[in-house]
Amino acid sequence: MKRWVWILVLLLGASMAQTVGNEPPPDYPPEVFEIAKKLRCPVCRGESAAESNAGVTEEMRRQIADMLEEGKSEEEIIQYFVDRYTDWILYEPPKKGLGLVVWLAPLIGLGIFGLGLYSYTKTTAKREAALEEVDDEDIARLEAELERGSNNGGKE
Amino acid sequence: MNAKSLIGLIVVVALGVLFWWGIQTKDQRSELPSALAGREAPTFEMELLDAFTGKWGEKINLADYLGKKPIVLNFWASWCYPACYEEAPILEAAWRRWGDKVMFIGVDTQDERKNGNEFVARFGLTFPNVYDPRGKIGIDYGMYGVPETFIISKEGRVIKRHAGSVDAATLEKMIREVVE
Repeated sequence: MKRWVWILVLLLGASMAQTVGNEPPPDYPPEVFEIAKKLRCPVCRGESAAESNAGVTEEMRRQIADMLEEGKSEEEIIQYFVDRYTDWILYEPPKKGLGLVVWLAPLIGLGIFGLGLYSYTKTTAKREAALEEVDDEDIARLEAELERGSNNGGKE
Repeated sequence: MNAKSLIGLIVVVALGVLFWWGIQTKDQRSELPSALAGREAPTFEMELLDAFTGKWGEKINLADYLGKKPIVLNFWASWCYPACYEEAPILEAAWRRWGDKVMFIGVDTQDERKNGNEFVARFGLTFPNVYDPRGKIGIDYGMYGVPETFIISKEGRVIKRHAGSVDAATLEKMIREVVE
């Protein structure tokens, strides 16, 4: 009985630890982090404003929380940062202009690779088919000619 | 050369150009123009560091100076070594030279107040420096990191942004552009 109580306590503890680890810090509501995830940390490399612990991103999160409290929409908040930092501040490149090229680049690359692969397999198949088309009679004639040539020391 | 080889050659050259562009493109954050360029300078009212309260009062409001003189707005922090330490004497010298024609305002950002006061004393800064522990003004100006210097025209518009330590010649050139 005692053992079962201990197992229950451990399981409960583990599940609580899991819940706490998956939640944002208690100081801001999750919506703040959802918006911050869409913005880059201006002083870091490859980190969003939600992940970074830099002072500037702390202030960004604070400003997002303030704007949400004022009733501003997500679009308005993101635009606030774009107005100050340009589209550069967006964590994911916008799907327009040069940003669109970035989004399409993997598809273009895949297309080029597919075309190359198709062209290669087609050429190989054609070459193999051409080899198969040579009949036994032609091969025998070719071998005889080669043999004759070697018997003559390569001289006709 | 048949059509297929030509297409292959074009693809290879295009990929080569893309590769070259990729490796030679640097992270040019410091060279990015300010998103505020040509727009009205965001205003702020902030507490001054201790050395300036006697002459300038407890707080400074940027709006009180906009439209009167061009403004050099410099963001710094005491932990920003060596860049902020290199440019502090240059800014002070420029303020002494241009102070009658140009307003200088420093913003000690995301710093400990005590350390900010020590920095001011160390370099004998005499132009007003406000204290912005949260870095709110920096975000309003789209600042990436300290030090950064913004030039605001007499009309109150942001016209230049310099990221990193500013040298004497660059600062002089930027000031002359708004004064002359």
